[in-house]
Amino acid sequence: MWVTRKGVVSLLIPVALVIPACRRDIPVPASPPATADSPANAPATKRVVGPLSDADAQALATMNDRIKDYIALHQKLERTLPAVPKEATPEQIDQNQRALENLVQKNRATAKPGDIFTPTAQPVIKRLLATVFGGPDGKQLKASIMDENPVGTKLAVNARYPDIVPLSTVPPEVLQTLPKLPEELQYRFVGNRLIILDAHAHVVADFIEDALPN
Amino acid sequence: MRRRPPFVVLVFTLLLLGTEFRDAVDFAPRASLVHAQQTPSTEVAVPLPNRDGSFKFAVLGDFGTGDRPQYQMAEQMFAVYKKFKYDFVMLVGDNLYGAQRPQDFRNKFEVPYKPLLDAGVKFYASLGNHDAREQRYYKPFNMEGQLYYTFSPRPDIRFFALESTYPVPEQFQWLEKELKASGSDWKIAFFHHPLYSSGDRHGSDIRLREVLEPLFLKYNVSVVLTGHDHFYERVKPQKGITYFVTGSGGQLREGNIDRQSGLTASGFDTDQAFMVAEIVGDQMYFNAVSRTGRIVDSGSIARRKLVP
Repeated sequence: MWVTRKGVVSLLIPVALVIPACRRDIPVPASPPATADSPANAPATKRVVGPLSDADAQALATMNDRIKDYIALHQKLERTLPAVPKEATPEQIDQNQRALENLVQKNRATAKPGDIFTPTAQPVIKRLLATVFGGPDGKQLKASIMDENPVGTKLAVNARYPDIVPLSTVPPEVLQTLPKLPEELQYRFVGNRLIILDAHAHVVADFIEDALPN
Repeated sequence: MRRRPPFVVLVFTLLLLGTEFRDAVDFAPRASLVHAQQTPSTEVAVPLPNRDGSFKFAVLGDFGTGDRPQYQMAEQMFAVYKKFKYDFVMLVGDNLYGAQRPQDFRNKFEVPYKPLLDAGVKFYASLGNHDAREQRYYKPFNMEGQLYYTFSPRPDIRFFALESTYPVPEQFQWLEKELKASGSDWKIAFFHHPLYSSGDRHGSDIRLREVLEPLFLKYNVSVVLTGHDHFYERVKPQKGITYFVTGSGGQLREGNIDRQSGLTASGFDTDQAFMVAEIVGDQMYFNAVSRTGRIVDSGSIARRKLVP
Protein backbone atom coordinates (compact mmCIF):
# COMPACT_ATOMS: atom_id res chain seq x y z
CA MET A 1 0.00 0.00 0.00
CA TRP A 2 1.36 3.35 -0.98
CA VAL A 3 0.42 6.07 1.46
CA THR A 4 1.02 9.78 1.17
CA ARG A 5 1.64 11.81 4.28
CA LYS A 6 -0.66 14.42 2.85
CA GLY A 7 -3.37 11.83 2.54
CA VAL A 8 -3.09 10.91 6.21
CA VAL A 9 -3.02 14.51 7.33
CA SER A 10 -5.93 15.46 5.17
CA LEU A 11 -7.99 12.71 6.69
CA LEU A 12 -7.13 13.64 10.24
CA ILE A 13 -7.95 17.30 9.82
CA PRO A 14 -11.50 17.87 10.99
CA VAL A 15 -13.42 18.37 7.82
CA ALA A 16 -16.11 20.23 9.67
CA LEU A 17 -13.75 23.15 10.24
CA VAL A 18 -15.17 25.95 8.22
CA ILE A 19 -13.36 29.21 7.88
CA PRO A 20 -15.68 32.04 7.07
CA ALA A 21 -14.85 33.53 3.73
CA CYS A 22 -13.24 36.91 4.03
CA ARG A 23 -14.25 39.04 1.12
CA ARG A 24 -12.69 42.40 0.63
CA ASP A 25 -14.66 44.46 -1.77
CA ILE A 26 -12.49 46.37 -4.16
CA PRO A 27 -13.76 49.92 -4.49
CA VAL A 28 -14.66 50.46 -8.08
CA PRO A 29 -14.57 54.04 -9.29
CA ALA A 30 -17.73 55.10 -11.02
CA SER A 31 -17.52 54.35 -14.69
CA PRO A 32 -18.64 56.87 -17.25
CA PRO A 33 -21.31 55.93 -19.76
CA ALA A 34 -20.11 53.16 -22.00
CA THR A 35 -19.23 53.82 -25.57
CA ALA A 36 -17.82 50.34 -26.14
CA ASP A 37 -18.73 46.84 -25.07
CA SER A 38 -17.81 46.08 -21.52
CA PRO A 39 -15.07 43.49 -21.06
CA ALA A 40 -17.62 41.06 -19.65
CA ASN A 41 -19.67 41.10 -22.82
CA ALA A 42 -16.96 41.63 -25.38
CA PRO A 43 -16.47 38.93 -27.97
CA ALA A 44 -13.37 36.95 -27.21
CA THR A 45 -12.06 37.58 -30.68
CA LYS A 46 -11.90 41.30 -30.05
CA ARG A 47 -9.75 43.29 -27.76
CA VAL A 48 -12.10 45.86 -26.39
CA VAL A 49 -11.23 48.83 -24.29
CA GLY A 50 -14.22 49.80 -22.32
CA PRO A 51 -16.44 51.03 -20.99
CA LEU A 52 -15.15 54.39 -22.14
CA SER A 53 -16.37 57.90 -22.35
CA ASP A 54 -15.16 60.17 -25.11
CA ALA A 55 -12.81 61.81 -22.60
CA ASP A 56 -11.38 58.44 -21.62
CA ALA A 57 -10.94 57.50 -25.25
CA GLN A 58 -9.06 60.73 -25.85
CA ALA A 59 -6.88 60.07 -22.81
CA LEU A 60 -5.98 56.63 -24.07
CA ALA A 61 -5.31 58.04 -27.51
CA THR A 62 -2.40 59.96 -26.01
CA MET A 63 -0.96 56.64 -24.86
CA ASN A 64 -1.52 55.06 -28.24
CA ASP A 65 0.39 57.90 -29.87
CA ARG A 66 3.33 57.26 -27.55
CA ILE A 67 3.19 53.55 -28.31
CA LYS A 68 3.36 54.30 -32.02
CA ASP A 69 6.37 56.54 -31.46
CA TYR A 70 8.05 53.85 -29.38
CA ILE A 71 7.44 51.16 -31.95
CA ALA A 72 8.72 53.34 -34.75
CA LEU A 73 11.96 53.78 -32.84
CA HIS A 74 12.11 50.12 -31.84
CA GLN A 75 11.67 48.89 -35.39
CA LYS A 76 14.17 51.40 -36.76
CA LEU A 77 16.76 50.18 -34.26
CA GLU A 78 15.94 46.52 -34.74
CA ARG A 79 16.45 46.83 -38.48
CA THR A 80 20.07 47.77 -37.87
CA LEU A 81 20.73 44.41 -36.21
CA PRO A 82 21.09 41.04 -37.87
CA ALA A 83 17.94 38.95 -37.60
CA VAL A 84 17.89 36.15 -35.06
CA PRO A 85 18.27 32.86 -36.90
CA LYS A 86 15.14 30.76 -36.94
CA GLU A 87 17.09 27.98 -35.32
CA ALA A 88 19.20 29.88 -32.83
CA THR A 89 21.31 28.99 -29.85
CA PRO A 90 20.53 30.60 -26.48
CA GLU A 91 23.68 32.67 -26.91
CA GLN A 92 22.53 34.03 -30.26
CA ILE A 93 19.14 34.91 -28.79
CA ASP A 94 20.78 36.61 -25.83
CA GLN A 95 23.31 38.54 -27.94
CA ASN A 96 20.60 39.88 -30.19
CA GLN A 97 18.43 40.84 -27.26
CA ARG A 98 21.25 42.65 -25.46
CA ALA A 99 22.31 44.48 -28.61
CA LEU A 100 18.79 45.79 -29.05
CA GLU A 101 18.62 46.60 -25.36
CA ASN A 102 21.70 48.80 -25.67
CA LEU A 103 20.35 50.61 -28.71
CA VAL A 104 16.99 51.26 -27.08
CA GLN A 105 18.58 52.50 -23.89
CA LYS A 106 20.89 54.87 -25.74
CA ASN A 107 18.11 56.26 -27.85
CA ARG A 108 15.76 56.70 -24.88
CA ALA A 109 18.33 57.96 -22.45
CA THR A 110 15.95 60.59 -21.09
CA ALA A 111 12.96 58.26 -20.77
CA LYS A 112 10.97 58.59 -17.55
CA PRO A 113 7.81 57.14 -16.02
CA GLY A 114 4.73 58.42 -17.77
CA ASP A 115 6.29 58.70 -21.20
CA ILE A 116 4.02 55.96 -22.53
CA PHE A 117 1.46 55.58 -19.77
CA THR A 118 0.71 59.28 -20.06
CA PRO A 119 -0.58 61.14 -17.00
CA THR A 120 -3.96 61.46 -18.65
CA ALA A 121 -4.10 57.78 -19.57
CA GLN A 122 -3.02 56.41 -16.20
CA PRO A 123 -6.26 57.05 -14.28
CA VAL A 124 -8.24 55.47 -17.11
CA ILE A 125 -6.01 52.40 -17.09
CA LYS A 126 -6.39 52.10 -13.34
CA ARG A 127 -10.15 52.40 -13.58
CA LEU A 128 -10.33 49.77 -16.29
CA LEU A 129 -8.27 47.41 -14.16
CA ALA A 130 -10.36 48.15 -11.09
CA THR A 131 -13.45 47.22 -13.05
CA VAL A 132 -11.96 43.89 -14.05
CA PHE A 133 -10.63 43.06 -10.60
CA GLY A 134 -13.84 44.20 -8.95
CA GLY A 135 -15.81 41.72 -11.02
CA PRO A 136 -16.89 38.24 -9.99
CA ASP A 137 -13.63 36.68 -11.12
CA GLY A 138 -11.44 39.42 -9.71
CA LYS A 139 -10.10 37.43 -6.79
CA GLN A 140 -9.09 34.51 -8.98
CA LEU A 141 -7.58 36.80 -11.60
CA LYS A 142 -5.45 38.49 -9.00
CA ALA A 143 -4.33 35.17 -7.55
CA SER A 144 -3.36 34.12 -11.05
CA ILE A 145 -1.30 37.26 -11.54
CA MET A 146 0.38 36.99 -8.17
CA ASP A 147 1.47 33.47 -9.02
CA GLU A 148 5.22 33.86 -9.46
CA ASN A 149 4.96 37.62 -9.24
CA PRO A 150 7.54 38.85 -6.76
CA VAL A 151 6.86 41.96 -4.75
CA GLY A 152 9.55 44.43 -3.78
CA THR A 153 11.40 44.29 -7.09
CA LYS A 154 13.10 47.53 -8.07
CA LEU A 155 12.24 48.76 -11.53
CA ALA A 156 13.38 51.67 -13.64
CA VAL A 157 12.10 52.89 -16.96
CA ASN A 158 14.48 52.07 -19.79
CA ALA A 159 16.36 49.57 -17.60
CA ARG A 160 16.70 45.88 -18.40
CA TYR A 161 13.89 43.77 -16.99
CA PRO A 162 15.55 41.98 -14.07
CA ASP A 163 16.84 38.65 -15.30
CA ILE A 164 15.83 36.70 -12.26
CA VAL A 165 12.30 38.08 -12.03
CA PRO A 166 9.73 35.71 -13.53
CA LEU A 167 7.41 36.95 -16.22
CA SER A 168 4.02 37.15 -14.58
CA THR A 169 0.72 35.92 -15.87
CA VAL A 170 -1.53 38.51 -17.48
CA PRO A 171 -4.95 36.88 -17.77
CA PRO A 172 -6.85 37.28 -21.03
CA GLU A 173 -9.61 39.19 -19.27
CA VAL A 174 -7.05 41.82 -18.31
CA LEU A 175 -5.42 41.91 -21.73
CA GLN A 176 -8.75 42.31 -23.39
CA THR A 177 -9.47 45.34 -21.27
CA LEU A 178 -6.26 47.22 -21.90
CA PRO A 179 -5.27 49.09 -25.05
CA LYS A 180 -3.84 46.74 -27.61
CA LEU A 181 -0.10 46.51 -27.87
CA PRO A 182 1.91 45.57 -30.93
CA GLU A 183 3.82 42.31 -30.97
CA GLU A 184 7.02 43.92 -29.73
CA LEU A 185 5.46 45.01 -26.44
CA GLN A 186 3.77 43.13 -23.61
CA TYR A 187 1.91 44.02 -20.47
CA ARG A 188 3.27 42.34 -17.36
CA PHE A 189 2.77 42.83 -13.66
CA VAL A 190 5.69 43.20 -11.30
CA GLY A 191 4.29 43.36 -7.80
CA ASN A 192 1.34 45.72 -8.11
CA ARG A 193 2.91 47.64 -10.99
CA LEU A 194 1.70 47.26 -14.53
CA ILE A 195 4.63 47.47 -16.90
CA ILE A 196 5.03 47.67 -20.63
CA LEU A 197 7.85 45.33 -21.49
CA ASP A 198 9.78 45.59 -24.71
CA ALA A 199 9.77 41.85 -25.26
CA HIS A 200 12.49 41.87 -27.91
CA ALA A 201 14.90 44.11 -26.00
CA HIS A 202 13.86 42.90 -22.52
CA VAL A 203 13.62 46.51 -21.42
CA VAL A 204 11.00 48.15 -19.21
CA ALA A 205 9.46 50.70 -21.53
CA ASP A 206 7.22 52.22 -18.84
CA PHE A 207 5.18 51.31 -15.80
CA ILE A 208 2.33 52.44 -13.58
CA GLU A 209 2.61 52.18 -9.83
CA ASP A 210 -0.29 50.67 -7.88
CA ALA A 211 -2.10 49.48 -10.96
CA LEU A 212 -3.23 46.28 -9.26
CA PRO A 213 -5.96 47.11 -6.76
CA ASN A 214 -5.41 45.93 -3.19
CA MET B 1 -6.27 -18.12 17.64
CA ARG B 2 -5.67 -14.94 15.66
CA ARG B 3 -6.61 -11.71 17.31
CA ARG B 4 -9.00 -9.46 15.52
CA PRO B 5 -7.64 -5.98 14.92
CA PRO B 6 -9.26 -3.27 16.91
CA PHE B 7 -12.13 -1.56 15.16
CA VAL B 8 -10.30 1.79 15.07
CA VAL B 9 -7.37 0.18 13.19
CA LEU B 10 -9.72 -1.24 10.62
CA VAL B 11 -11.40 2.12 10.10
CA PHE B 12 -8.06 3.89 9.81
CA THR B 13 -6.80 1.37 7.28
CA LEU B 14 -9.92 1.76 5.19
CA LEU B 15 -9.50 5.52 5.27
CA LEU B 16 -5.92 5.23 4.05
CA LEU B 17 -6.94 2.91 1.27
CA GLY B 18 -9.59 5.41 0.36
CA THR B 19 -7.01 8.14 0.12
CA GLU B 20 -4.86 6.08 -2.17
CA PHE B 21 -7.85 5.27 -4.27
CA ARG B 22 -8.76 8.93 -4.48
CA ASP B 23 -5.28 9.93 -5.53
CA ALA B 24 -4.86 7.39 -8.26
CA VAL B 25 -8.23 6.26 -9.46
CA ASP B 26 -10.30 9.36 -9.42
CA PHE B 27 -13.33 9.85 -11.50
CA ALA B 28 -13.72 6.82 -13.68
CA PRO B 29 -14.69 7.95 -17.14
CA ARG B 30 -18.27 7.60 -18.19
CA ALA B 31 -18.11 8.85 -21.73
CA SER B 32 -18.43 6.33 -24.47
CA LEU B 33 -15.49 7.61 -26.48
CA VAL B 34 -12.93 7.01 -23.76
CA HIS B 35 -12.20 3.61 -22.39
CA ALA B 36 -9.82 4.11 -19.54
CA GLN B 37 -8.41 2.18 -16.69
CA GLN B 38 -6.15 3.32 -13.92
CA THR B 39 -3.34 1.07 -12.93
CA PRO B 40 -1.46 2.11 -9.83
CA SER B 41 2.03 0.71 -10.04
CA THR B 42 5.46 1.21 -8.61
CA GLU B 43 7.06 -0.18 -11.76
CA VAL B 44 8.46 1.95 -14.52
CA ALA B 45 5.50 2.55 -16.75
CA VAL B 46 5.23 0.43 -19.84
CA PRO B 47 2.70 2.15 -22.02
CA LEU B 48 0.27 0.40 -24.20
CA PRO B 49 0.07 -1.12 -26.71
CA ASN B 50 3.67 -0.25 -27.79
CA ARG B 51 3.43 -1.58 -31.32
CA ASP B 52 6.08 -1.38 -33.99
CA GLY B 53 5.41 1.30 -36.58
CA SER B 54 2.89 3.22 -34.51
CA PHE B 55 3.23 6.94 -33.88
CA LYS B 56 4.46 7.56 -30.35
CA PHE B 57 4.85 10.85 -28.54
CA ALA B 58 4.99 12.41 -25.08
CA VAL B 59 3.42 15.52 -23.62
CA LEU B 60 5.06 17.75 -21.03
CA GLY B 61 4.02 21.06 -19.54
CA ASP B 62 4.97 23.64 -16.94
CA PHE B 63 8.32 22.06 -16.38
CA GLY B 64 11.27 24.47 -16.69
CA THR B 65 11.98 25.18 -13.06
CA GLY B 66 15.49 23.78 -12.87
CA ASP B 67 14.51 22.20 -9.57
CA ARG B 68 14.94 18.63 -8.44
CA PRO B 69 11.41 17.45 -9.24
CA GLN B 70 11.89 18.54 -12.84
CA TYR B 71 15.09 16.56 -13.07
CA GLN B 72 13.44 13.53 -11.51
CA MET B 73 10.60 13.80 -14.01
CA ALA B 74 13.14 14.00 -16.81
CA GLU B 75 14.81 10.85 -15.53
CA GLN B 76 11.44 9.16 -15.47
CA MET B 77 10.74 10.29 -19.02
CA PHE B 78 13.95 8.67 -20.15
CA ALA B 79 13.21 5.51 -18.17
CA VAL B 80 9.90 5.27 -20.02
CA TYR B 81 11.60 6.08 -23.32
CA LYS B 82 13.87 3.08 -22.95
CA LYS B 83 10.81 0.87 -23.06
CA PHE B 84 8.59 2.99 -25.27
CA LYS B 85 10.47 4.77 -28.05
CA TYR B 86 8.57 7.97 -28.56
CA ASP B 87 9.98 10.24 -31.25
CA PHE B 88 8.42 13.54 -30.21
CA VAL B 89 7.64 15.53 -27.09
CA MET B 90 4.94 18.18 -27.31
CA LEU B 91 5.57 21.02 -24.89
CA VAL B 92 2.44 22.78 -23.70
CA GLY B 93 4.18 25.85 -22.35
CA ASP B 94 5.91 27.40 -19.38
CA ASN B 95 9.08 25.90 -20.70
CA LEU B 96 11.38 28.15 -18.68
CA TYR B 97 10.42 29.71 -15.37
CA GLY B 98 12.17 32.75 -13.99
CA ALA B 99 15.38 33.79 -15.67
CA GLN B 100 15.75 32.90 -19.35
CA ARG B 101 19.44 33.51 -19.89
CA PRO B 102 21.61 31.11 -21.89
CA GLN B 103 22.53 29.22 -18.75
CA ASP B 104 18.83 28.84 -17.98
CA PHE B 105 18.20 27.19 -21.34
CA ARG B 106 20.86 24.72 -20.32
CA ASN B 107 19.90 24.15 -16.69
CA LYS B 108 16.16 24.06 -17.24
CA PHE B 109 16.08 22.22 -20.53
CA GLU B 110 19.25 20.91 -22.12
CA VAL B 111 20.72 19.23 -19.06
CA PRO B 112 17.63 17.46 -17.71
CA TYR B 113 16.51 16.24 -21.14
CA LYS B 114 19.96 15.52 -22.50
CA PRO B 115 19.42 11.75 -22.66
CA LEU B 116 16.29 12.28 -24.75
CA LEU B 117 17.91 14.93 -26.95
CA ASP B 118 20.92 12.67 -27.46
CA ALA B 119 18.58 9.85 -28.43
CA GLY B 120 17.17 12.03 -31.19
CA VAL B 121 13.81 12.81 -29.59
CA LYS B 122 12.44 16.04 -31.03
CA PHE B 123 10.69 18.60 -28.86
CA TYR B 124 7.97 20.84 -30.31
CA ALA B 125 7.13 23.80 -28.10
CA SER B 126 4.24 26.10 -27.55
CA LEU B 127 4.71 29.09 -25.29
CA GLY B 128 3.14 29.68 -21.89
CA ASN B 129 2.49 32.84 -19.97
CA HIS B 130 5.87 32.67 -18.25
CA ASP B 131 7.83 32.15 -21.46
CA ALA B 132 9.74 34.87 -23.27
CA ARG B 133 8.77 35.07 -26.91
CA GLU B 134 12.37 34.72 -27.94
CA GLN B 135 12.09 31.03 -27.15
CA ARG B 136 10.51 30.66 -30.56
CA TYR B 137 13.98 30.98 -32.07
CA TYR B 138 15.50 28.30 -29.86
CA LYS B 139 16.46 25.48 -32.16
CA PRO B 140 15.57 22.52 -29.92
CA PHE B 141 12.01 23.87 -29.58
CA ASN B 142 11.48 23.51 -33.35
CA MET B 143 9.26 26.58 -33.61
CA GLU B 144 11.35 28.11 -36.40
CA GLY B 145 10.62 31.62 -35.21
CA GLN B 146 6.85 31.14 -35.20
CA LEU B 147 4.54 31.72 -32.25
CA TYR B 148 2.03 29.32 -33.79
CA TYR B 149 2.63 26.65 -36.38
CA THR B 150 1.56 23.27 -37.63
CA PHE B 151 3.43 20.13 -38.58
CA SER B 152 2.60 16.69 -39.77
CA PRO B 153 4.87 13.88 -38.59
CA ARG B 154 2.90 11.43 -40.72
CA PRO B 155 0.27 11.95 -43.39
CA ASP B 156 -2.54 10.81 -41.13
CA ILE B 157 -1.54 12.98 -38.17
CA ARG B 158 -1.25 16.75 -37.89
CA PHE B 159 -0.43 18.87 -34.85
CA PHE B 160 -1.35 22.51 -34.36
CA ALA B 161 0.73 24.48 -31.87
CA LEU B 162 -1.00 27.66 -30.75
CA GLU B 163 -0.07 30.77 -28.80
CA SER B 164 -2.68 31.29 -26.09
CA THR B 165 -1.13 34.03 -23.97
CA TYR B 166 -1.53 36.84 -26.47
CA PRO B 167 -3.84 35.29 -29.05
CA VAL B 168 -4.35 37.59 -31.98
CA PRO B 169 -7.22 37.39 -34.47
CA GLU B 170 -4.73 36.61 -37.22
CA GLN B 171 -3.89 33.38 -35.45
CA PHE B 172 -7.50 32.24 -35.44
CA GLN B 173 -7.79 33.01 -39.15
CA TRP B 174 -4.59 31.09 -39.77
CA LEU B 175 -5.84 28.17 -37.68
CA GLU B 176 -9.11 27.91 -39.55
CA LYS B 177 -7.30 27.95 -42.86
CA GLU B 178 -4.87 25.25 -41.76
CA LEU B 179 -7.52 23.05 -40.18
CA LYS B 180 -9.65 23.30 -43.27
CA ALA B 181 -6.76 22.44 -45.54
CA SER B 182 -5.67 19.43 -43.54
CA GLY B 183 -6.87 16.05 -44.65
CA SER B 184 -5.24 14.22 -41.77
CA ASP B 185 -7.34 11.76 -39.83
CA TRP B 186 -5.87 12.90 -36.55
CA LYS B 187 -5.86 16.59 -35.76
CA ILE B 188 -4.34 17.39 -32.40
CA ALA B 189 -3.97 20.89 -30.96
CA PHE B 190 -1.60 21.86 -28.21
CA PHE B 191 -1.12 25.11 -26.36
CA HIS B 192 -0.83 26.45 -22.83
CA HIS B 193 -4.15 27.71 -21.50
CA PRO B 194 -6.78 24.99 -21.00
CA LEU B 195 -10.21 25.40 -22.51
CA TYR B 196 -11.43 22.99 -19.87
CA SER B 197 -9.76 22.54 -16.50
CA SER B 198 -10.81 21.86 -12.95
CA GLY B 199 -7.97 23.96 -11.63
CA ASP B 200 -8.86 25.90 -8.56
CA ARG B 201 -6.09 28.38 -9.37
CA HIS B 202 -6.72 29.00 -13.07
CA GLY B 203 -9.48 26.77 -14.39
CA SER B 204 -11.06 26.87 -17.82
CA ASP B 205 -10.25 29.72 -20.15
CA ILE B 206 -13.77 30.48 -21.26
CA ARG B 207 -12.91 33.29 -23.64
CA LEU B 208 -10.37 31.23 -25.49
CA ARG B 209 -12.85 28.37 -25.59
CA GLU B 210 -15.43 30.60 -27.26
CA VAL B 211 -13.07 31.10 -30.15
CA LEU B 212 -11.26 27.80 -30.45
CA GLU B 213 -13.89 25.21 -29.65
CA PRO B 214 -16.09 25.97 -32.68
CA LEU B 215 -13.07 25.57 -34.93
CA PHE B 216 -12.07 22.31 -33.26
CA LEU B 217 -15.58 20.96 -33.66
CA LYS B 218 -16.03 22.13 -37.21
CA TYR B 219 -12.72 20.78 -38.44
CA ASN B 220 -12.61 17.50 -36.59
CA VAL B 221 -9.97 18.00 -33.93
CA SER B 222 -9.93 14.91 -31.73
CA VAL B 223 -7.56 15.74 -28.91
CA VAL B 224 -6.42 18.97 -27.25
CA LEU B 225 -3.32 19.09 -25.04
CA THR B 226 -2.81 21.96 -22.59
CA GLY B 227 -1.08 22.92 -19.34
CA HIS B 228 -1.13 26.01 -17.09
CA ASP B 229 -2.82 24.34 -14.12
CA HIS B 230 -0.15 22.42 -12.28
CA PHE B 231 -1.58 18.94 -12.25
CA TYR B 232 -2.65 16.20 -14.61
CA GLU B 233 -6.27 16.02 -15.67
CA ARG B 234 -8.14 14.21 -18.37
CA VAL B 235 -11.37 16.04 -18.92
CA LYS B 236 -14.55 14.18 -19.76
CA PRO B 237 -15.04 14.45 -23.51
CA GLN B 238 -16.57 17.78 -24.37
CA LYS B 239 -18.74 17.63 -27.48
CA GLY B 240 -16.68 14.64 -28.54
CA ILE B 241 -13.24 16.18 -28.01
CA THR B 242 -10.89 14.91 -25.32
CA TYR B 243 -8.96 17.58 -23.42
CA PHE B 244 -5.89 16.96 -21.31
CA VAL B 245 -4.20 19.24 -18.80
CA THR B 246 -0.57 18.21 -18.34
CA GLY B 247 0.79 21.08 -16.31
CA SER B 248 2.89 19.27 -13.72
CA GLY B 249 6.07 18.44 -15.59
CA GLY B 250 8.13 20.29 -12.98
CA GLN B 251 5.68 22.44 -11.13
CA LEU B 252 2.99 21.00 -8.89
CA ARG B 253 0.04 22.52 -7.12
CA GLU B 254 -1.03 19.79 -4.77
CA GLY B 255 -4.72 19.29 -4.24
CA ASN B 256 -5.66 21.96 -6.76
CA ILE B 257 -8.15 19.92 -8.75
CA ASP B 258 -11.63 21.08 -7.91
CA ARG B 259 -13.35 17.76 -7.40
CA GLN B 260 -16.74 19.39 -7.77
CA SER B 261 -16.13 20.79 -11.24
CA GLY B 262 -17.90 17.94 -12.97
CA LEU B 263 -15.27 18.02 -15.70
CA THR B 264 -12.78 15.45 -14.50
CA ALA B 265 -12.58 12.03 -16.04
CA SER B 266 -9.31 11.39 -14.23
CA GLY B 267 -7.15 13.66 -12.16
CA PHE B 268 -3.81 13.47 -10.42
CA ASP B 269 -2.58 16.36 -8.32
CA THR B 270 -0.34 14.80 -5.70
CA ASP B 271 2.87 14.51 -7.70
CA GLN B 272 4.40 15.58 -11.02
CA ALA B 273 3.27 13.77 -14.16
CA PHE B 274 3.69 13.67 -17.91
CA MET B 275 1.90 11.84 -20.67
CA VAL B 276 2.87 9.37 -23.34
CA ALA B 277 0.59 8.49 -26.20
CA GLU B 278 0.48 6.22 -29.19
CA ILE B 279 -1.67 6.37 -32.29
CA VAL B 280 -2.63 3.11 -33.90
CA GLY B 281 -5.14 3.54 -36.68
CA ASP B 282 -8.23 5.22 -35.30
CA GLN B 283 -7.18 4.80 -31.68
CA MET B 284 -4.94 6.91 -29.51
CA TYR B 285 -3.66 5.09 -26.45
CA PHE B 286 -2.33 7.12 -23.56
CA ASN B 287 -0.67 6.80 -20.19
CA ALA B 288 -0.11 9.48 -17.60
CA VAL B 289 3.02 8.68 -15.66
CA SER B 290 4.00 10.11 -12.30
CA ARG B 291 7.46 11.19 -11.19
CA THR B 292 7.84 7.86 -9.42
CA GLY B 293 6.89 5.89 -12.50
CA ARG B 294 3.36 5.11 -11.51
CA ILE B 295 0.77 4.98 -14.26
CA VAL B 296 -1.89 7.27 -12.86
CA ASP B 297 -4.22 7.21 -15.83
CA SER B 298 -4.44 5.23 -19.02
CA GLY B 299 -6.90 4.44 -21.74
CA SER B 300 -7.67 4.94 -25.39
CA ILE B 301 -9.51 7.50 -27.44
CA ALA B 302 -11.23 6.95 -30.76
CA ARG B 303 -10.60 9.72 -33.23
CA ARG B 304 -13.51 11.92 -34.21
CA LYS B 305 -15.08 11.32 -37.57
CA LEU B 306 -17.14 13.98 -39.20
CA VAL B 307 -20.58 12.88 -40.21
CA PRO B 308 -21.01 13.69 -43.92
